[in-house]
Amino acid sequence: MRVGLFVTCLVDLMRPSIGFAALRLLETAGCEVVVPSTQTCCGQPGYNSGDEKSARVLARKLLREFEGCDYLVLPSGSCAGMIRVHYPTLFASDPDVLESIQRLSARTYELTDFLVNVLKIEKIPGRYSGSLTYHDSCSGLRELGVQAQPRALLSKMPGVTLSEMTESTTCCGFGGTFAVKYGDISARMADKKCEHIVKSGAAAVVAGDLGCLLNIEGRLRRRGDLLTRTLHIAEVLAGENGECT
Amino acid sequence: MSARDNILARIGKARQAAGHDIESEIRRHPCGPVPPLAGDLASRFDEQAVKLSSDVAHAGTITEIPGIVAQYLRQHDLPRKGVCWPVLAPYDWRSAGIDLQARGARGDDMLGITGAFVGIAETGTLMLLSGPDTPATVSLLPETHVAVLGTERIVATMEQAWDRLRLEHGALPRAVNFISGPSRTADIEQTVTLGAHGPYRVLIIIVG
Amino acid sequence: MHVSSMHFKRKAVEKLGDEKLQQALNKLQSKFVDGRAAAIAELPNFNEIRDAAADIRERVVTQLDDYLRRFELEATARGAEVHWAESVEEANRLMADIARRHHVRRIAKSKSMVSEECALNDHLESEGFDVIETDLGEYILQLAKEPPSHIVAPVVHKSKEEISDLFEEKHRRTRITEITELCREAREILRPKFLAADMGISGANFIIAETGSVLIVTNEGNGRLVTTLPRVHVAITGIEKVVPTLEDATTLLRLLPRSATAQSITNYVSILTGTRGQNDTEGAEHFHIILLDNSRSRLLGTELQPMLRCIRCGACMNHCPVYQNIGGHAYGWVYPGPMGSVLTPAFVGLENALDLPNASTFCGQCAVVCPVKIPLPDLLRHLRTRQVKQGLRPWRERVALRIWSWVAQRPSVYGLFSRLAVRMLRLAGGKEKRLHYLPGVSGWTKGRDLPAPAGRTFHDLYRRKPIA
Repeated sequence: MRVGLFVTCLVDLMRPSIGFAALRLLETAGCEVVVPSTQTCCGQPGYNSGDEKSARVLARKLLREFEGCDYLVLPSGSCAGMIRVHYPTLFASDPDVLESIQRLSARTYELTDFLVNVLKIEKIPGRYSGSLTYHDSCSGLRELGVQAQPRALLSKMPGVTLSEMTESTTCCGFGGTFAVKYGDISARMADKKCEHIVKSGAAAVVAGDLGCLLNIEGRLRRRGDLLTRTLHIAEVLAGENGECT
Repeated sequence: MSARDNILARIGKARQAAGHDIESEIRRHPCGPVPPLAGDLASRFDEQAVKLSSDVAHAGTITEIPGIVAQYLRQHDLPRKGVCWPVLAPYDWRSAGIDLQARGARGDDMLGITGAFVGIAETGTLMLLSGPDTPATVSLLPETHVAVLGTERIVATMEQAWDRLRLEHGALPRAVNFISGPSRTADIEQTVTLGAHGPYRVLIIIVG
Repeated sequence: MHVSSMHFKRKAVEKLGDEKLQQALNKLQSKFVDGRAAAIAELPNFNEIRDAAADIRERVVTQLDDYLRRFELEATARGAEVHWAESVEEANRLMADIARRHHVRRIAKSKSMVSEECALNDHLESEGFDVIETDLGEYILQLAKEPPSHIVAPVVHKSKEEISDLFEEKHRRTRITEITELCREAREILRPKFLAADMGISGANFIIAETGSVLIVTNEGNGRLVTTLPRVHVAITGIEKVVPTLEDATTLLRLLPRSATAQSITNYVSILTGTRGQNDTEGAEHFHIILLDNSRSRLLGTELQPMLRCIRCGACMNHCPVYQNIGGHAYGWVYPGPMGSVLTPAFVGLENALDLPNASTFCGQCAVVCPVKIPLPDLLRHLRTRQVKQGLRPWRERVALRIWSWVAQRPSVYGLFSRLAVRMLRLAGGKEKRLHYLPGVSGWTKGRDLPAPAGRTFHDLYRRKPIA
């Protein structure tokens, strides 16, 4: 099984350990993983800002890069959703490439969804001991139906105590450029998310999207909380107490 | 070109397809999906009506009605004077000490007694049809509304109510009013308060 | 209604700092969010009903002219007069003409969002008519001279104390603080107005093609009073409100109250057809229906067409995390929240409401709860696309996006700049591993730290990884 890994630009720039964690999870499960070196961005920032043209250019580039893979897996519900749900819409009136795009979308998966529903992994390579709370990132949840999968994987880790927060499915306020353009509203939404996290009593918050984690961590630290950790689900599943090299 | 012409022209121009024959669709008036209702209709009606803050009493025959109303008014310390639909005037209100006039309600009437076309079990709702002998104000202006409903007039859903209406009356009256309890508002701090502009209380007497 | 959507950003910040409003908005969660969930859970076949409801509305929108003609035919046959208005000015003129025609002086009004679009009350008052709002929330707003902040719960932004103050000042009676007593006082003040009104104005939740009827859902009883007591009744609504049959209205009625106020049914559902009969002793002698377009027809045949399915339940705004934090007034016009962010630019002009489609994270919860399956995030994205196509975005934004796109197409350039950028950010983050301020993204750093990146990019590290 030839699995292409698209790490996403955010992971590439801000927290490469997530990319390596995803890599480790897929290889441990027996996949042949390729990481096309020319990958950059899935085109979502442009798409959500109303620039469909630039989104199409980056989509075509991505399509070429992952042509030879049986699957395309991403440690991000947001980017996976872009490819799975929105790429076909972007090329609805491009008959020459629509079929290829649809085939790409059909074999694109968010990481935990892939691990649970395609690889059906039983053994989790990582070790973690402590309490966690899970934040349901919006795109993963509502575009791809990712909700049970990360919890199913966490339940296979004996050291993990999952302490659900109230309103785990409420948006954290990231929303891509929204976080900068409407920073005051965004920060308030992040603040409310932090309240729920703190109330859950967990030592760390876990999510499937780095954008959410950066937003939440940014607000936690500004609130004076230097202890609550923000971890990507891949880091928890693949590393030693969330640490991955 | 009138506004009507302009609007219809704009709509017509934007239409994507020829569409279907709305006339036959309307004539058939198919029902949408209906939620399954467990249990018998009368108990369901009872339970839902109480849930929506109506008071419910039961009478074996119509002769019991004035007594039930008198007791209710006594219980709530309410005046025993009001108006009613003409069809209910012949009941023995005098012996129960209730003074009723068979007419539409005015602003100062405190009690209104009506019948009902049907009761809808799904939501504990009364369906009233306006008419010369069924003035709508009787269920609207007074602070207390009493409705007399025969068990045989309880249907499961609003869809069944429409069927009955079409069968028994053909066309719609000026006003069809579905009533599900006392008037209420939650505009102030989202706190539900019973008794807004309509009745403060509704007593449904189920007969039979 | 006067448009102030261009001030959205400033007003949103104000509202975030408004303690009283924030406390009032906290109530949305339990009442509207949890309440709706409980009400929906009572329907075992909710999804089926929702599919049917979406289907009914979609069917109507695709053949709107056929259904409107049928409605007009039926309504007219029953003695109502149907009027068409392309603009709010026209609707206002029609309303005043009708009032004059029937020698009306006093008007009692129940809730209508379309009348807010028209600023109808202002117009009628300027024409010399005496107009009173009878829906408790709208009455309170009339006293306070404020616009509604929510389409279903218009004074959700006001506390009980504020309302007590208002009643004390305007009614000139001793101050009341209990909610039941406040409602009782409003009843006492408004009851004589109902009885004295020559004309009643209502909206319409639906108009029914089969029977030519106007359907109104209310809880207070004021809707029934203004459509029964006065000798003239005028119903004003949008052209998109038509539904085919009584059964279709019934299907939609299973979802509207549950989505709006968490009720299985509203206290009153009134279906009004034609004028008072020959032997009737009550009911309007004259029944007028005004159908307002105001740009609705212009949405047909465009990507925004699905917006016309809307049944004005308010569920989208109740569940919108942005609305939950800023309330309705910041949106600056009649309709707030997600549906308002589509309708406002569509009705008052894209350039007058630039922020509205952009002030969304696309979390998607609005689309999840919409009873008629309007794909709201897609519509908002479409409006963003329209803004770009019409050159309405600020130049800084256009340039930034263009640079990103250019760089992302060129892996070696991307690699060079990204390696540089993350190294710089890592240094700037220092020992704390976070930045408190970063020029260019002060929107972020004003309220949050920016966690510093690791310092090396994934691709850089992966390339240099020793092969096992």
